Amino acid sequence: MTVHDTRGMDMAADTILRIEDVTKTYGAVRALRGVSLEIRRGTIHGLLGENGAGKSTLVGIISGQNTPTSGRILMDGRPLEQVDVKAMEEAGVFLVTQEPMIIDNMTAAENLMLGIWPNRGGFVDWKKLRADAARMLAGSGIDGSVTAGRLDAVSRRKLNILRAMFSGGRVIILDEPTAALTVADRRALFDFMRRLKAQGVTFIFISHYNDEILEICDAVSVLRDGSLAGGSEDVAALSSEQLTELVLGRGLELFQRHRRDHSDKAPAVRLRKVAGKNLSVEALDIAPGEVLGFTGLPGAGAKELARAIFGLHPASGLIWLDGHETALPGNPRAAFDAGIAYLSDDRRKDGAVGQMSIGDNIALSSLNARSRMGFIDHKAEAGVVARYFGAMGVKAPGPEYAVDTLSGGNQQKVCLGRVLATNPRLLIVDEPTRGIDVGVKQDVLRIIDELSDTGVSVIIVSTDTDELVRATDRVCVFDHGSIKETLSGDEISVERLRASVQA
Amino acid sequence: MSNATVNAAPGVGMAKDKASGHAVLGWVLHNVVWIWLIALVAIFGAFNDYFLTVFNLQNVMVQATVLGMLGLAVALPLLVAEIDLSIPANAGFSAAVGALAYSDLGLPWFIAMLAGLAVGTFIGFFNGFCITRLKMVSLIETLSMMIILQGALLALTQGKTLTNLADGYVWIGQATIGGWPIMPVVFLLALAVMGVVLQRTVLGRSIYAVGGNPVASNSAGIRVDRIKVITYTISGFLAALAGFLLASWQMAITSNQGSSYLLYAIAAPIIGGVSVFGGRGNVRGVLGGVLLLTVIQVGLAIINVPSFYVGMIGGVMIFIAVAIDAIRVRYFG
Repeated sequence: MTVHDTRGMDMAADTILRIEDVTKTYGAVRALRGVSLEIRRGTIHGLLGENGAGKSTLVGIISGQNTPTSGRILMDGRPLEQVDVKAMEEAGVFLVTQEPMIIDNMTAAENLMLGIWPNRGGFVDWKKLRADAARMLAGSGIDGSVTAGRLDAVSRRKLNILRAMFSGGRVIILDEPTAALTVADRRALFDFMRRLKAQGVTFIFISHYNDEILEICDAVSVLRDGSLAGGSEDVAALSSEQLTELVLGRGLELFQRHRRDHSDKAPAVRLRKVAGKNLSVEALDIAPGEVLGFTGLPGAGAKELARAIFGLHPASGLIWLDGHETALPGNPRAAFDAGIAYLSDDRRKDGAVGQMSIGDNIALSSLNARSRMGFIDHKAEAGVVARYFGAMGVKAPGPEYAVDTLSGGNQQKVCLGRVLATNPRLLIVDEPTRGIDVGVKQDVLRIIDELSDTGVSVIIVSTDTDELVRATDRVCVFDHGSIKETLSGDEISVERLRASVQA
Repeated sequence: MSNATVNAAPGVGMAKDKASGHAVLGWVLHNVVWIWLIALVAIFGAFNDYFLTVFNLQNVMVQATVLGMLGLAVALPLLVAEIDLSIPANAGFSAAVGALAYSDLGLPWFIAMLAGLAVGTFIGFFNGFCITRLKMVSLIETLSMMIILQGALLALTQGKTLTNLADGYVWIGQATIGGWPIMPVVFLLALAVMGVVLQRTVLGRSIYAVGGNPVASNSAGIRVDRIKVITYTISGFLAALAGFLLASWQMAITSNQGSSYLLYAIAAPIIGGVSVFGGRGNVRGVLGGVLLLTVIQVGLAIINVPSFYVGMIGGVMIFIAVAIDAIRVRYFG
């Protein structure tokens, strides 16, 4: 692939990867319908679309994991005869997934050359390995001799990108690389990408966030229902609203809660003297029907307090709920029984049981209330399943389908249905809309809003300032395990929140 | 078997959304244990008329009983994504305790038998306790328990075979009604009860959830450790029951009673579609796996395959069953 093919010269000389009329069908389902794309050399090309729009299928085809049903892929103007992972990697296309594939107990240098360790007659040539790694890592801020398990999130992502380049990668696909990164980390990652771009590396960048696309990408393509809905070679000329409209195909009305002042109400929940690892909160009151935001940098205490209230973060303290004062629950079962529900931010690990059906998942946390002598009351169960399957608007043919088959956003709805089925008086949601597309995001925020109207107190833990502005009545900003500042009313704005978190 | 459905709801038919040829293949692969079973019955029947007689059917059912009880006992820890290697050794040891409590301590045979069951149940509970509270790795914890119990059985029996068993004790293994042995009824009952527990109770649903995703189950309010301990305890009880039935049927307890069942007891549920990664499988599959292994053993003996080849041919047949199942999982999920 290093020799430039003259037959390819008739097309735009700067197109490195070209996708022509690619279709992919699974049985009767048409995941992609005749998608054509051109990726220019040395650019960052954004790929946007709702879950289920065909993004993952297209990425799977470009990275060689899926074979297209029809259509072809051209690299440097030359059509590839076979599309599989090996062929695409030989052509220089590498996929860096959401979950960095790193072996924690090897050093950064070893990870960088995973599987291609320089060797002499079968023995690893450590000297060469370290020297090569040091050259690749120069300027990245990563020490090659450090054990990979001790690297922070952004370094791990950088390491994966470098590994792809070291293996001969010229087109690197980044699948939501900013998930779970702080603002500062995200900036560092973007700087790193710009530096590599200047060296001629091409990126395909997948993200749910318009602001990221607008900040880092040169060009953008939007998929909708398996087809190319639109795109632009000049992202700078686009606005966030235009992008949203391209993704959804209609002007989307973004959710905005009618913000309420609860300061004159008697609190429904009182927390006192909560202390644990990286956590120390003297007092916090929450009114009935209030939506309270928790935010802060990772480790600052927002998530820790939320999990402590639910019995997942070891802590001592008192909670006053519905007239009873008790110690914080020691485990999730006790928390549910006390009327506290928690929705984790990690859907895959800590959300749904993937191989169980949607219905079984919805009923999972409230089975005891719907059983007699240990036997499940199937009628009561079917009732609650039908109710929340409908109320959450889960996109599936029926509740008997496995949760595994759903998109991330719909899995989130199932998990939300599960915790709501316990009839909580205090609902805690941790990053409820992370990694789900903008349409479903509005649904989730609307459900939370309607729930608060029934008098349920809600805590939203979020690092998404826009979401906090749109969905909460009051926001607590955490720092070093305590509440640093509480904003309410008109004080809650994106600028004010960002300044407070970063300060 | 059809481990696509862990819930009580009817399975989502492949035929709904796949082309028909694909659907037929999918159905065949989903039911491969049963098809393979029928095929083997036909093959063995063709080789030897005796195989298809009522008497041999009864023989297969009796042979399947002990393996089936042990297979059920193994399946439970597998469902919560753990393993228990000590189950066959538990069966042998707890049966010996029950027998010796009668012959050496002079307890009534029924009380002695219950004592044996209690010991086996406690061993299961203890395994569960070590794995959850002490965070011991189940593979190694139960491996060492297996060695301990095998050694303890040898010490108890002093290397001799125990044959001083009460008439009441051996009744269940010998009694017949109208010529039909009643021992398989115990297995069928156990299958039915476990089927109901797994499909219809909160415990059963919790077992599948814990095996499917322990972290999510904990957050969903399921007491993961408690469910695992209960699972191991039931498993220990089933192991002890299997040990009692084996002793009653053989009318003897050897100094290495049960040990020869280890690999078959693990193979049977896995052949039947119980996932070693937890959360998938059902009692119907366990029954299929048990019958398949039993038919292979009995069939090879009946068609006079020279004994030097029995192990090898049986192994190849199991291998084929597992390979077909792996293909199914790969292409049909």
